[in-house]
Amino acid sequence: MTLDAIPIHVVNTPPGEPGLTGNARPLLRELLEAAGRLLETGETSAIDLSALPLTPADLDWLREKLGAGEISVTLQAIGESTLNETACPGVWWVTHHNEQGAVTSQFLEVAFVPELVKADPHDVESGCEYLELLISDLS
Amino acid sequence: MKGPLIDTLARQGITRRTFFKYCATLASMMALPPSAGRAMAEAMAAARRPSVIWLPFQECTGCTESITRSHSPTLEGMIFDLISLDYQETLMAAAGHQAEEARHTAMKENHGKYLLIVDGSIPLGLDGAYSCIGGRSNVDILKEAAEGAAAIVAMGSCASFGGIPKANPNPTGAVSVSDIIKNKPIVNIPGCPPIPVVMTGVLAHYLTFGSLPELDDKGRPKAFFGETIHDRCYRRPFYDQGKFAKTFDDEGARQGWCLFELGCKGPVTYNACATVKWNGGTSWPVESGHGCLGCSEPDFWDAGGFYKALSMPADPLKIAAAAAVAGAAAGVAVSFANRAKKGAAKKAHETTTLADLEK
Repeated sequence: MTLDAIPIHVVNTPPGEPGLTGNARPLLRELLEAAGRLLETGETSAIDLSALPLTPADLDWLREKLGAGEISVTLQAIGESTLNETACPGVWWVTHHNEQGAVTSQFLEVAFVPELVKADPHDVESGCEYLELLISDLS
Repeated sequence: MKGPLIDTLARQGITRRTFFKYCATLASMMALPPSAGRAMAEAMAAARRPSVIWLPFQECTGCTESITRSHSPTLEGMIFDLISLDYQETLMAAAGHQAEEARHTAMKENHGKYLLIVDGSIPLGLDGAYSCIGGRSNVDILKEAAEGAAAIVAMGSCASFGGIPKANPNPTGAVSVSDIIKNKPIVNIPGCPPIPVVMTGVLAHYLTFGSLPELDDKGRPKAFFGETIHDRCYRRPFYDQGKFAKTFDDEGARQGWCLFELGCKGPVTYNACATVKWNGGTSWPVESGHGCLGCSEPDFWDAGGFYKALSMPADPLKIAAAAAVAGAAAGVAVSFANRAKKGAAKKAHETTTLADLEK
């Protein structure tokens, strides 16, 4: 049996900019404001992309507009997370995946360094203990 | 498994960053700012296991399925493991007197501190005889367990609002938890079944702040039930543009246009499906091409047909609920008339056709 036997014909989305809702555009202005706030007060902010009515086309549009920056960080933590700087320094595209590779949440984080990249003091403490252990093993 | 949560997690190979990543996602789902996510992670990391008693009443175990089989081992599942689940009939190994004993011990040792989770409605007909466990009626067991609970979580539409057991004509006299218990904080997590992460969110809030999250007028956590499916629907822009699918296989349906005219109850349904999605974020009803059934709203089963478009001005769920109470209010709206007709057909032992159901 061929696919022709199924009485449904696939309609390809028309050329132009399919699926664009226009909802992604105001985000650029919001980012500008957030980046200004970061410069003035050092306050970081984040826009939760999975909580907004954005179509896949909208997200592609946004990703294309913001472009890729110099730094991309990958975190392996029950699924991969990517924290990529966009072409606008200070604006990071943060994507969390689960183990199956599905996106669990997606943020635009406006910060000098994304929160998750920083080492936690508790973990630094553990790091110190480990270093001390290494040193004591040497002597 | 004693001690702070983060230590237990660390023993299972969960790093602090992994946990923070999870909390960031959780906080975003609860509509909390990123800073609150950090605070939540820190508070949760230090939290100790609360005792939880889970009572299943007039239910189908769908809620338990939803929570325990959310998707392959995740942090969610692990946090669920990290509560001290002292009684859950479907999951526990003990049975009979041993099981009842375990419940009584947990209730006594943690009196005033345990969290009580209830799924299923409670039948009041025939003195509650429609559903009994160990020879005691559900209503009896609920009252006893609620007495020493710090708070109650009504899990699923049945426990929250009566659900399908309460659907017209409600043969067992089913009611919700809040219809019976009046003197304890109750959080309703409706849905048929409810979304797993809502449960974790409520639990996380309870562990972080020692209290239940902010609730709306129907006792639901505002963070997850603050907005309608429609407001957060990715097809919403098509509604605004007046682009509607007219049948399930027309051009509009293929283009992924709004399902409003095909009976979607998204505009009157408060839930988080549109943002949290189902099956580990894979998809959700509207994304798979079917309108919302409104399963997390009171009396959704009697709301007048899953494929009937919401009328304007719309609040059919409320109208239908009123009809169920009034009973004989036929002729007020088309759906009532059809219900009467259906009733008449039933009396005359006529076959109800699909077409009748659709009217």
